[in-house]
Amino acid sequence: MRVLCVAEKPSISKAVAGHLSGGSFATHNTRNKYIKNYSFDFDFGQQWGSSSVTMTCVTGHLTNVEFTNEYKNWSHPPPESLFTAPIVKNDKKDIAKNIADQAKYARLLVIWTDCDREGEHIGQEIVDAAKVGNAAIQVKRARFSNVERAHVLTAARRLIELDEKQVNAVSARIELDLRIGYAFTRFITNNLKHLGGPLAELVLSYGSCQFPTLGFVVDRYFRVKNFVPEPFWGISLTHNKDGKQVRFSWARNRLFDRMTAVLLYERCLDAKKAKVTKVQEKPTRKFKPLPLTTVELQKAATRLLRMSGQQAMTIAEGLYNKGFISYPRTETDRFDKGMNLRALVQKQTTDQRWGPFAQGLVNGGFQQPREGRHDDKAHPPIHPIAHVAPSVLSHDEGRLYEYVTRRFLACCSEDAKGMATDIELQLGDEYFSTRGVIVLERNYLDVYVYENWNNSTELPKFTVGEQFEPTEAMMTEGKTSPPNYLTEADLIALMDANGIGTDATMAEHIQKIQDREYVATITRGNDTAGGAGGGDDEEEANGAPAARGGGRGRGRGGRGRGGGASARGGRASGLKVFVPTQLGVALILGFDRMSFEMSLGKPFLRKEMELQMKAICEGSTTRRAVLEQSIAQYKQVFLQSQEQVGVLKQACREFVFGQRPGA
Amino acid sequence: MDLIPQLQRAILAQFLPPPSQTFLTTLTTARSPPPPIPSLLATAKARLLASDLTNTSSAIIDPSAPVFPANIDAATVKETNLAQNTHVQVIDIENLSLSRWEQVEELEAIERGERTRGRQVIRVVAPEDGDNEADASSTAQQTQASRPAAAAITTGGANAVHRLVLQDRQGKRVFAVELRRINGIGIGKTHIGEKILLKAGAVVARGTVLLTPETCTLLGGKIDAWHETWMEGRLARLKESVGADRPR
Repeated sequence: MRVLCVAEKPSISKAVAGHLSGGSFATHNTRNKYIKNYSFDFDFGQQWGSSSVTMTCVTGHLTNVEFTNEYKNWSHPPPESLFTAPIVKNDKKDIAKNIADQAKYARLLVIWTDCDREGEHIGQEIVDAAKVGNAAIQVKRARFSNVERAHVLTAARRLIELDEKQVNAVSARIELDLRIGYAFTRFITNNLKHLGGPLAELVLSYGSCQFPTLGFVVDRYFRVKNFVPEPFWGISLTHNKDGKQVRFSWARNRLFDRMTAVLLYERCLDAKKAKVTKVQEKPTRKFKPLPLTTVELQKAATRLLRMSGQQAMTIAEGLYNKGFISYPRTETDRFDKGMNLRALVQKQTTDQRWGPFAQGLVNGGFQQPREGRHDDKAHPPIHPIAHVAPSVLSHDEGRLYEYVTRRFLACCSEDAKGMATDIELQLGDEYFSTRGVIVLERNYLDVYVYENWNNSTELPKFTVGEQFEPTEAMMTEGKTSPPNYLTEADLIALMDANGIGTDATMAEHIQKIQDREYVATITRGNDTAGGAGGGDDEEEANGAPAARGGGRGRGRGGRGRGGGASARGGRASGLKVFVPTQLGVALILGFDRMSFEMSLGKPFLRKEMELQMKAICEGSTTRRAVLEQSIAQYKQVFLQSQEQVGVLKQACREFVFGQRPGA
Repeated sequence: MDLIPQLQRAILAQFLPPPSQTFLTTLTTARSPPPPIPSLLATAKARLLASDLTNTSSAIIDPSAPVFPANIDAATVKETNLAQNTHVQVIDIENLSLSRWEQVEELEAIERGERTRGRQVIRVVAPEDGDNEADASSTAQQTQASRPAAAAITTGGANAVHRLVLQDRQGKRVFAVELRRINGIGIGKTHIGEKILLKAGAVVARGTVLLTPETCTLLGGKIDAWHETWMEGRLARLKESVGADRPR
């Protein structure tokens, strides 16, 4: 019997063919130069038995949807007609033909696309293409989350069905993105083009994820710009004992009223003697990290490795395609109990850097990882599949692989342990406290070099009831400082919390708003900037939008330099942060000021759509119902935007052309 | 007729502001036969707590009830104690543990119909919109918990320090600060016009009453008109006090 296997991309096709065939397969070229057909024999077991297999692949989505030719013009028919305009599907002809041809001789089609929503949809596209050649072909799906040999062989012998619900969710998403994206992009571009200047030639794209993402950047920008610093006061107590100096902090922390602080301070001074009210020594621990999800991987990569989220995902995908790490798109932060994690740890014992640590785990140090609360039921947390010597990886691949592996080993290790001493004392009516920590066992910290935990200064002995006159009681004064501009890690966290994009697409949206010049990156200066006060803020605030061209250039240059110096030197400074361009500000404020229920710059509409996708997957709603509801909702917003387009134009005049309102 | 002393005793037993004889007489003679003591007491309590203590024309409060000593607000006096139980009403409340700007940002977000929970931005739906829209189901549950009015309540945390402006029967105003946390005090929780009993012995330092649960009994109540005006003006006052109302 003949079986046709189709993977999502060439690297997976080749890897799976290699494993199933035991390494000996014949390679045939196709009309597409990236796609090869591999043929070999394999025993699928079950009812299929020994089969003659052709393994091929697609290159991501096989089809794309678009409007018919009558709708190609940007102004006629008007953009709002796109909400209901007919849609046609096109496929990548040569690839689809290859599948149809191969399907003719096969009785069974096995889908080997990535096991996520998009992969499920691509699977259906493959099925559609195959049925053109052979309407009677049977369809199965292989469930796998990495391309390690044993895992692939198991997947091949435990075939499952394609999940129609996920297919429907994705096809709803694709249709909505097309209609909403095109309608609003044309609407915005057409209307703002007339303002001339830099807007005359630009395509001002709208995306239901892009805009809320931009909205976060604009929102933070204004929080920084509008910030008003305020003074605050506190009381700090120091005491010297046994040759050690201890600093106690005030239970009230700080007060934003000088008179009250002075009043309480005076009473402290009058009280003279402090009395120890509590001395408590208890074990404490620093928790090892949770198993790694995509969102956490991106955050760590931008924060610790100075990569962009998109770079990190591209690299991670490369590592996955080569079989070094598990599938990097996952929401799961708990390992299945049945997984043999010790075997995975064992594979790392040969490494020069963390081999001894891994060996220690194998020799009895192994602990089951902590369990997070997320499980996408498709993929395990990201973990290393095989050990790779750094010499076969590029510099950045090596760093990302190192992070994934160290994180995994940390998960399989033990929390760091220490002893904490809490001392509380009363001076008059006021309470003060201090805490001392002694680290006893570093455990996971030995391998997880990205975190640290240090002993605090050693505390002298105190006993409850002990009274003493503090060496010094000081009134302190400080000033609030503005929040920082968003880093990529901040932005990813915001998108994650607000349901904007999936873990797999967030990085793309962030890249998109940079490509569209809605936001630019600047390099956050040294920490001194924070304390420098109003003058500095003002300067930065005014500088950012003005530097639309320049700011981007600088951002790029910075990245280049960072790569060269491998970002080791300037870890503390040189962090990339996002600021909106004048155009970005104008678009978001334009929509915000239209004052209808839900601005396009806010996350609410998109979040609802994302929840609907989930609901389709869970079977609690249907594709048709979601399409009807979402299209109606966005169309309503569209019509309102049309009515109030003057508000958007005014915002552009104000921010892009620098005209004052009313001018 | 011993109804009046009976009612008076019941009122005083609850630490309520002492009523005037006129008020007691009016209450007990308004209907004949007079309602039973419990319902008279309830009426009296509601009236007393909703009244303006300084309003002499309504004559609800006993004109001989204790007031602040004249020099209570003297910053030169390091420490003194209140000699008598004194009833006061709340004129203003501030949370000294939060920066004013932080409070401005929160109020502005609420005005925009948003509320943040950690990093999550939550849309706050006005209750009347939420009910008649079929597709509002996902947000409707949050409506109950966080409608704008309720959203303005900040419980203040265990170490929050509030400063009140208190006013006695004669209109004398004085600052009062939480020396110990009193759970009933909070922005949005404490109403303007709420009545408080400051007990004899309460410490006054540098012209500020120091509040502790032992010396301060919250009686509740509110003067609606004052409270509303206060709520409406809060954002503007906060902005003014940080200087954000002026163009920079």
